Amino acid sequence: MMISVSNELKMIDKAAFEYSRKILAPEREENDKFPYGPFFDHLIEKAYDLDFFHSLLPESLGGIGQSISAICTILENISREDSSLGGIILTTTATHEILLAADAQGLLKQLTENADTFKKFMVAYPLFSNPSETNHLCIAEKNKNGYSLSGAQEFLVLGGISDHAIIPTKMKGEAEYSFFLVNLNDAGVEKSEPIQSLGLHSCPAADVSFAKVKGKLIGKQGDGETYFEAMASRLSIAAAAMACGIMKGSFKEAADYCKKRVQGGRKIIDWSEVKMTLAQMAINLKTAEMVVSSACQAMENNEPDWQQCAKAAAIHVHEMACNLTNDGIQVMGGVGYMKDFGQEKRFRDAKHIQAVFGLTPMKKLRYLESIV
Amino acid sequence: MQGVVVFQSQDNTCNIEGLKNHYNAADGAYIDAICFDNINFKYEGIMISRAQIKSLIKREPGFEDITCSLRATVKQPKGILKESKKVMAIARKFTDEVVRPMSLELDKKMHEDPEYLPWEYIQKVNEWGLYTMFIPKIFGGQGYSLSCLFYLLEEIGTACLAMSNLIGVHYLGYASLISSWNMKMIDKISRDVARGEKTGEPCIISLAITEPNAGTDSQNIELMDTGNLACHAQKTDNGYIINGTKIFISSGHLSTWHIVHAYTDLKKGSENTIMFAVKTGSEGFSFGRKEKKMGQKACVASELIFNNCFVPDENVCIDNRGLRNRSKGIWHSNEQILAYIWGASRIGVSSFGAGAARGAYETALKFASETEINGQLLINHEWCQCMLADMYINAASARIAYTEGNYANGLYGLWKILNLKPLYYLMKYTHVKFLDKFYMWLWNKPVMTLIFRKLCLDFQKDAETARVDGWGSLAKVLCTDAGVKNCMMAIEIMGQAGIRHDRRAEKILRDAKLLQIYEGTNQINRINVFKRLIAPPYPQTEIFTAGNI
Ligand SMILES: Cc1cc2nc3c(=O)[nH]c(=O)nc-3n(C[C@H](O)[C@H](O)[C@H](O)COP(=O)(O)OP(=O)(O)OC[C@H]3O[C@@H](n4cnc5c(N)ncnc54)[C@H](O)[C@@H]3O)c2cc1C
Repeated sequence: MMISVSNELKMIDKAAFEYSRKILAPEREENDKFPYGPFFDHLIEKAYDLDFFHSLLPESLGGIGQSISAICTILENISREDSSLGGIILTTTATHEILLAADAQGLLKQLTENADTFKKFMVAYPLFSNPSETNHLCIAEKNKNGYSLSGAQEFLVLGGISDHAIIPTKMKGEAEYSFFLVNLNDAGVEKSEPIQSLGLHSCPAADVSFAKVKGKLIGKQGDGETYFEAMASRLSIAAAAMACGIMKGSFKEAADYCKKRVQGGRKIIDWSEVKMTLAQMAINLKTAEMVVSSACQAMENNEPDWQQCAKAAAIHVHEMACNLTNDGIQVMGGVGYMKDFGQEKRFRDAKHIQAVFGLTPMKKLRYLESIV
Repeated sequence: MQGVVVFQSQDNTCNIEGLKNHYNAADGAYIDAICFDNINFKYEGIMISRAQIKSLIKREPGFEDITCSLRATVKQPKGILKESKKVMAIARKFTDEVVRPMSLELDKKMHEDPEYLPWEYIQKVNEWGLYTMFIPKIFGGQGYSLSCLFYLLEEIGTACLAMSNLIGVHYLGYASLISSWNMKMIDKISRDVARGEKTGEPCIISLAITEPNAGTDSQNIELMDTGNLACHAQKTDNGYIINGTKIFISSGHLSTWHIVHAYTDLKKGSENTIMFAVKTGSEGFSFGRKEKKMGQKACVASELIFNNCFVPDENVCIDNRGLRNRSKGIWHSNEQILAYIWGASRIGVSSFGAGAARGAYETALKFASETEINGQLLINHEWCQCMLADMYINAASARIAYTEGNYANGLYGLWKILNLKPLYYLMKYTHVKFLDKFYMWLWNKPVMTLIFRKLCLDFQKDAETARVDGWGSLAKVLCTDAGVKNCMMAIEIMGQAGIRHDRRAEKILRDAKLLQIYEGTNQINRINVFKRLIAPPYPQTEIFTAGNI
């Protein structure tokens, strides 16, 4: 992100940068052990206190009502060191955005008002799929007390550790889907063990099944896709900012290492092949920063094509992040593959978050459909 | 040099346009132009002299550099085809019955406890006879041709690269041992492996070259003397004393024998490299940490520590005493030995790459054939068909590339001698007891080592060394890049399912990434392709010098 004028944004940037470097980075390797190591509650709690979860939430709902640039700045800084926390913030923010898009401030208030800890504040959501692409959505039935949900939701991010979740669900016999808010502590909810995954180990997901679980309809029945698109358009750029942060972290660690590591009697940064790889990384990183910044600007200025800017930026930056993090390992040789350094995690995380909001090829096709 | 340019048309007439001023890069001379003006004449077959054929096929890229497979189909014993089929069938059975059912759980277990050592799998490999399968019968093994090894590694690699590597690395150690051409040591260690199979106590081999401050440097002769080699070998009366540390040694903690490179002069390793065979349990030798890796978790990467470790002369595979009288001199002989090792072992890594490419492709294909998107099976989306076709192409090209490298080894490299028809058939059709009776005593005779070193070190032509080494690197880069590429594509096709451990694609990616790093990073292998296959006609080129920075 290229931080522009606003002082407030600069302060957010500084806070997130310091938090990431001083608090998150030293425990990265340990946090990555989850579920075979402890969950990093104490670090998330600090991020929560620093309002990193509240940037987009309107002030009327207890947030700090910042623009998209703010959450992008936060996510980018955090993801330099450990994008698992970025994933937790993004997931919770996605649920807020769906509720806001559905004009369901009431529900959002219920969820956020009394949440004095991040655990109560977090809401689970299947971040890595687009419900329109998913065949087996849960089914809702209307009864005299409201709605009850049955079925299974795969890869529900934060599903194993949140009290609430937002679940895309179809009404029996209907083609369009709706979103429902459910309480994950209700009887009839069954959660799997945390799913072992490529990246974001400390942003765990679970497969969750529902047997006649009470759900609250969010917004209008059958309007799920509209809310999803509104949320995904805005937050795809936030996911791109995460990728950009990963790229920054990867480039920095690679360049620092190459300046120290000696092979063939000279620092490896002096070998022109290493230099060339680093140069390509630096160019990709700068391009990614520019792309994310201008997509944020387009959104903030409400330019007519901001949604397209956001989506194109996200697809492109994710792809660049996968390539860059691959090189980030490569220039470090064997140690790049080891957990003692951050590169292997960044490589995994970059590929993992490319799947945010659904299949990449489908995102590309949908992008084309939106412009022609 | 003279040449003819012939433009053939379909009606059997030829238009000779003429030969323009032609620059011959090899000798830097302009070739005189002979100009014809569109002369039409009746086609009577292309006249080309023997001398012309010889000179034209010598032109870069030389015929022999790019047609190993063609030459091998004529020269290679036919029996290898049948053997390859059998090996592939055994590999598939082993993969179905042992590897696939175990791989995800083992990976999980290693994630949970990085200190765990997968002995239960090593036992299975041993029980199935895979550690002696490619050891020649004359040394007590089962005698399958090493040419067939790579089909086995690819097959197992489709299901788990770490488990394939737990077999491949043993043969990497073995290949390194062979490249010393110390027949006594080869026999001794081979028979230990065979004994391990009989007793049920696996005896496997590792290769230890990499050091904390010398990775690339320890593997490339040009870099050794400016590098920071630190594993020192001091000559004593009856052997050497080794001090130093090796890191990232695959299967280290699991191996009985370690083929170790150490140096009598750390400032001039290129001419003072000693190859040792060190046995686990030797005094002064111990294991250090196990690396915490992103993938290939089941294949432990170990630190080996040598603290005044005495290695008797009889366990020296090769030192300068064996190189002093070589026709090529010590430096070039050391380079040649490294080329023997990498030329063979990088084909192994290439076959892992092909396995990864196929594993990822098969995983994505299965997913696409079962999953509907927008009411239509993914496999019926045209974009998905093209992605799957690209993945198929990547896997197939990878197999072609490593097969070509495999042939290069069979024609000019490590298993050239074993693939010679008389020797091949002698071993194939002679009972092992008979071979032992008549040949075992031979290997203890120093003359056998002398003969093999003469044949394999002195008689190997530089162009042959370059071809084997060059193709090893070429295949390694192509196959491992193809492997990683396919994993990336599989995850894109599978989306959320692709990032879950239980759907395999993510594991294949984590495992495959290592292939681009070990046995020389792909960057270093590209430089080696340049050195071996591109640079020879250009004497002005420099490799790994100040001129390259
Ligand atoms: C899991 C694992 C298992 C392994 N198994 C074994 C084993 O069994 N036995 C064994 O001996 N080794 C083993 N290795 C070591 C492996 O072969 C080395 O890691 C690899 O060769 C790279 O060396 P390095 O890690 O020291 O990187 P470095 O040599 O430090 O290289 C770092 C970067 O600098 C670049 N570079 C270095 N020098 C130059 C140059 N002159 N010109 C241009 N670029 C340059 C490299 O390409 C790389 O990108 C293993 C490694 C790993 C990670």
